[in-house]
Amino acid sequence: MPPLRRLASGLLHTALRYASAETEEWARAMLSELDFIEGDWAALFWALGSATAIFRHSGRAGIRRFVDRMGNKGGEMNQTGKNAVGVAAGIGIGLAIAVAVISLWMLSRTYFPGFDAGRVPWRTWLLTIGVPEIVFIGFAVRLWRKRRPMAIGILLIAIMAGAHFAMHLAQHWRG
Amino acid sequence: MKLRLSPQTLKVLDAFLQSPQEWQYGYDISRTTGLKSGTLYPILMRLAERELLETSWETVEEGRPPRHLYRFTPDGVHFARKHRSLGGTLLMGGAALNEAES
Repeated sequence: MPPLRRLASGLLHTALRYASAETEEWARAMLSELDFIEGDWAALFWALGSATAIFRHSGRAGIRRFVDRMGNKGGEMNQTGKNAVGVAAGIGIGLAIAVAVISLWMLSRTYFPGFDAGRVPWRTWLLTIGVPEIVFIGFAVRLWRKRRPMAIGILLIAIMAGAHFAMHLAQHWRG
Repeated sequence: MKLRLSPQTLKVLDAFLQSPQEWQYGYDISRTTGLKSGTLYPILMRLAERELLETSWETVEEGRPPRHLYRFTPDGVHFARKHRSLGGTLLMGGAALNEAES
């Protein structure tokens, strides 16, 4: 079996192992189709998309079970529950973006010392607050119509990051 | 029960409507609609959860895994026919709509 196809198969077998009970049959269906796909790259892309679908569906099923266990026995999550999950997901995405940007900034300081943002304040500000804020707002605008609670979660992180920056400036700025 | 009739969902409905009685494979639907597996399967799952789609396993040649098959239920055919003309308008506008089904 060519390496790409082996990778695709391994990916889908892993996804199948971690799939929730509700998703297992579908995961098997996606895995079985893999043998009928012509082309190794096509098989790999099929596996990547399928694994994403399996994990998303399993994640949603897990959240639904968690909410049910927390007291909502009606089966379907009510609107308040959905909004709360949306806001929490938005906060999670916001934090992930912040961590990614800070990690990139730290890596850039290590690997490109000539570009040490610490020596030039505006560069530090641009990288640590400007870029994340632009990304946060971009995401929030994109999600506002279809997933408003998630957009609100991201905006909360944007506001917290902005407030943190303002406090930092107020404490350390010497003119 | 809510079903988002996105342009992608409408493509899937159209693909099934072309031959509503025939079983279809996931990979074939993906090729017909141009949808990637990560988009197609969540749609199939939602349709099956709402009992608009029925699923079955088919055994093929020896040494190959059984394949999952899909086709509309009578409710699915009715639902798709009801929304097909509306779907054409939606596809042109690229919009999505939430349809409440009881």
